[in-house]
Amino acid sequence: MRDPFDLAAGWVQEHVLLPFLYQVGWMRWEEVSYGWALAAVYGLVQVAATLALCTPLEAWRPVERWADRRAVTVDILYTLISRVGVLPLVTFVLFYQVQVNLTGWLVDHGWVPPMLELLVPPLLGHPIVTFFAYAAILDLADYWRHRLSHVFRWWWALHALHHAQEQMTFWSDDRNHVLDDLIGFVWFMLIALAIGVPPLQFPLLVLVLRFIESLSHANARLSFGWLGERLVISPRFHRAHHGVLAAGQSSCNYGGVLPWWDMIFGTADFSRDFPPTGDPEADAALRHGGYLAQQWSGLRRFGRALVGRA
Amino acid sequence: MPVRRLLPLLFALLGAALAAPRPAAAEGLAFVMNSGAASISVIDMSTEKPLRRIPVLREPHHWALSPDGRSLIIGDSSGNSLFFLNPMTGAVQRRIVVADPYQLGFSPNGRFLTVNGLARNQIDVYAAASMKLLHRFPIRSMPSHLAYSPDSRRLFVTLQGTNRLVAIDLQAMRVLWDRPVGNTPAGVLWQNGKLLVCDMGTDYVAEVDPEDGKVIGHVVTEKGAHNLFRSPDGKTIWVNNRVSGTTTVLDAATLRPLRTYHIPGGPDDLFFAPDGKVWITRRFAESVAVLNPATGKFDLIDVGRSPHGIFLSPHAPSPDRLAAAR
Repeated sequence: MRDPFDLAAGWVQEHVLLPFLYQVGWMRWEEVSYGWALAAVYGLVQVAATLALCTPLEAWRPVERWADRRAVTVDILYTLISRVGVLPLVTFVLFYQVQVNLTGWLVDHGWVPPMLELLVPPLLGHPIVTFFAYAAILDLADYWRHRLSHVFRWWWALHALHHAQEQMTFWSDDRNHVLDDLIGFVWFMLIALAIGVPPLQFPLLVLVLRFIESLSHANARLSFGWLGERLVISPRFHRAHHGVLAAGQSSCNYGGVLPWWDMIFGTADFSRDFPPTGDPEADAALRHGGYLAQQWSGLRRFGRALVGRA
Repeated sequence: MPVRRLLPLLFALLGAALAAPRPAAAEGLAFVMNSGAASISVIDMSTEKPLRRIPVLREPHHWALSPDGRSLIIGDSSGNSLFFLNPMTGAVQRRIVVADPYQLGFSPNGRFLTVNGLARNQIDVYAAASMKLLHRFPIRSMPSHLAYSPDSRRLFVTLQGTNRLVAIDLQAMRVLWDRPVGNTPAGVLWQNGKLLVCDMGTDYVAEVDPEDGKVIGHVVTEKGAHNLFRSPDGKTIWVNNRVSGTTTVLDAATLRPLRTYHIPGGPDDLFFAPDGKVWITRRFAESVAVLNPATGKFDLIDVGRSPHGIFLSPHAPSPDRLAAAR
């Protein structure tokens, strides 16, 4: 059975991107454009599915009610840029090119490029199990990236943008400073190269994981129960991380999808019940500004942290 | 007529039907390289039903049949591997580590195996018998498809990124010439002392003089001329046009277009079946079209994401016979 999302991406490629590339003489980019079409279609589906499921959830059991929701609007822009727009294109092109060149260089020098399926041969031919093995390793790596972003003052200066949102919703997942995203991308790339992550091989499963991450930011009074909270990160668990008392350098619940890393490394806190969110130290631009104002404010904080004035 | 008098007749007819020898099912296996799904679909050619998927590491694109016909070699480009398959059964024979094997092909005399690294901008020439790397040509950029001269002395590779075609002397292992041939050249074929080069950024196939690389003519097909294949009888050349979603059939002698088939979904590679049908991968539609050239109609077979290369093994035993043998 053919995957409807793949077919949608194929349709975009065939009827929109290829005619455009042909017209402007850029047909050499046709493989890249197909990669982007796949990433963008799955990104759109992510956004649509999250919207469809989280909107009623937030309406049904909101943690907070706001008369003015303008602060949420900018988070929508972050999401669209991150999941549909230019980021998937950059990620796909950069990651693929770096991966092929690095692994090819290793082969030329007599090394076998690292790949989870080669380290654990029984994984070959079991794509779903393989995917979850990759996902768990990347989630562990992301736990440490996130935790370290709270430790270093210069990094926290950037990451504070993510925490400055006082009206946290499922849209807030992608609210990040572009430099923070860049560091995150390099971090992911290093880990992915070390274990040989296949780009775009599992788009549907990536969609599910990204949904869990969005859901964890939802303004919803939702817990998965004692056991569920220890299996997958819930809105209740992640909200504790965004709570006003947890902002800054000593926080808790850093995990993205799995709470296990917080439990193993002693940063899990299952006791907090839906605290208000935000960073009391963030300036007004970071909290309530538009996209550019937030980026500029984050950059200034980053610069001050680097020279030791913040 | 009373029913009881009909019964013996019905039983006789039924018995005859059961006793009559059944027509032998057409045999053969099709192998489709799912470049976006890290797998190779194996299809029963007689029923056009997918049988199974062979897992590979990352990104299988193209193939070459070993000179002795015993191995179907598939390049897994970002998996940095060549997978050797038994073309009669699909069993994986072995895997060897090779950097970025995107496109590959044996020379007509079976002495050389060329492996193009599209992402790494390199053309590797191996000794086919030993798989020893004889020479690497770092080249800009995106070496894509390849062809040999019939005497196996020269190798021609399209350079998709720089709109050029490069000729390599395989005796001296040096570049003979490197010339512009259009826009985004892809498929290349030696035909009657000329090279035919598909220019994907145009609607034509360029005719190129193999001596010096000069473009000496154009054969207009349709938008996005991507790859071309000579029919088994040598009388026609089939050109897949990626952008227009068509396949143009050219007279091999005159290069005059004879007929165009509408194959939407990004037609890429094709293979001619013994029964006259043409199997075409539809790159953006997760399927293979099995075209009946007489009617222009085609059946669709579901495969994996981004199907690229296709190989038909018509002498492979049918799955039924294999099962019986087991």
